[in-house]
Amino acid sequence: MRSLLGWALCCALVTTGARRLRAQERTTLGGYGEVQYTNATGPNTPGRATLRRFVVYLAHSFDERLSFRSELEVEDARVEPGGKAGELEVEQAFLDYRLADWLTLRTGLVLIPVGIINETHEPPTFNGVARPGFDNDVLPTTWREIGVGAAGTIPGKSGLSYRVYLVNGLRAEGFAAAAGIREGRQEGQDATFANPSFTGRLEWARPGLKLGGSFWYGGSASADSVLGTGTFDAPIALVSADARYDVGAASFRAVVANISVKDAGAIDARYGSAVGSRLAGGYGEAAYNLLRALAPGSSQRLSAFVRHERYDTHAAVPAGVTRDASLARRITTFGLTYKPTWNTAFKGDYQLVRNAGGVGEYEVLSLGVGYQF
Amino acid sequence: MSVGLALLLLATQQPAAPPARLAASLARIFGSGVRADTIHVDTTTVLRVSRGDSLLGFAAVGNVIGKDQPITFLVAVDRDDRLKDVDILVYREPYGGEVAYEPWRRQFRGARASDSLRVGKEIRSISGATISVHAVTLGVRRLLAGLTAWHASGAIR
Repeated sequence: MRSLLGWALCCALVTTGARRLRAQERTTLGGYGEVQYTNATGPNTPGRATLRRFVVYLAHSFDERLSFRSELEVEDARVEPGGKAGELEVEQAFLDYRLADWLTLRTGLVLIPVGIINETHEPPTFNGVARPGFDNDVLPTTWREIGVGAAGTIPGKSGLSYRVYLVNGLRAEGFAAAAGIREGRQEGQDATFANPSFTGRLEWARPGLKLGGSFWYGGSASADSVLGTGTFDAPIALVSADARYDVGAASFRAVVANISVKDAGAIDARYGSAVGSRLAGGYGEAAYNLLRALAPGSSQRLSAFVRHERYDTHAAVPAGVTRDASLARRITTFGLTYKPTWNTAFKGDYQLVRNAGGVGEYEVLSLGVGYQF
Repeated sequence: MSVGLALLLLATQQPAAPPARLAASLARIFGSGVRADTIHVDTTTVLRVSRGDSLLGFAAVGNVIGKDQPITFLVAVDRDDRLKDVDILVYREPYGGEVAYEPWRRQFRGARASDSLRVGKEIRSISGATISVHAVTLGVRRLLAGLTAWHASGAIR
């Protein structure tokens, strides 16, 4: 009975509203993914291959102003209880209400607007098989949290755009020495809102050039009785700047970030985690499209690139924690990216993974393919 | 498929720009107080822009799909088929709105249908707006070719 009524209602809606609905509603499917092969130097390290990411992009516009966007991701191909690394996760899922070019209201599981890779992470958009180490250990990509905010571009000549969100905070319990704040992310799963946090980004763009500045500020105590129950207890302050510049066949990008973990001493005492009180570093990358010289008429790209990363998740440590020199990392990556189209990429690179402590250093050869559509 | 449904589907593929936005764009490009007459060519609506007895040029509104949303844009040419300007009338995506910035759109000015307009060559891209840059560049190329061909054939004059 209920379904019959539902059908009747549905038919009535369709017949009366068909014109408007059809003219405005639209569902879009897309996706991206990457397959990676890595072979590290050293004894007993055979090559390994994985379907690192397989992502389905699903979007729907309800009318001219209201739209939904989401990414559903499978990492490492397979997910099973007690199995290996695989994860199934929603990477973003949010609603946008577009009021004007300068104001879109946004709510849901949103990407934190810091650095380059976190928001623009489709494999053909960056050089190198794996994302930079910096974008794992310092900026914890893919970083997403639940919240509300606003975004927009300022039309005309200014070239400025912004995003500001109020989201759930990080959890100090997950912090660690090597991966910093990474496991403090809540990623939209039953997240505690004990420490509402602010994050935002300002961008300035010109043809070939984009400059960005980002911040995050918020507590991480999660109402823990030892760390504090205040909104901004155990505060995390992050600032980051990035630049991308393309000129002729050359392209450059750089990112720097500084993360201050004010109560690192208390956090380390509470959880025994040895997280640093300051995490800092960045990378610079230069690439050159060889096809510009070899085949000037071609729209394909074959870029040779070099990237140098320097970052330290123990840039400063609280009293009672011994500074670990092996966390001051220096990664140099040489590689090639072949892009037959702008949205497909075949990659190969060689990485020298070093650290100031000289402990556990290695080199790794990686091959990969990536796509987006 | 009924004709009505076909028209409906056609309408679905052609989101419109608010009339005020379109009028403001024409005034910006051709000057205020111009007259715009509508000419239908194939499935495209072309605006013939004039002041008094003199023809100033033509304009057409097109749509291209960005990542998932239509981008409604305008291409204006002078009476010698040279591109006067491009305007982004409605941008609906969360990322990539930089295509509306004047320094990016400026790159198309003065182009002819016979000119090459390729992303990464004549048209510089913007990081983080790659999809929109490719979509709008392709759309501009098509509309510019259309306007030039229709002008040459006398379909618009």
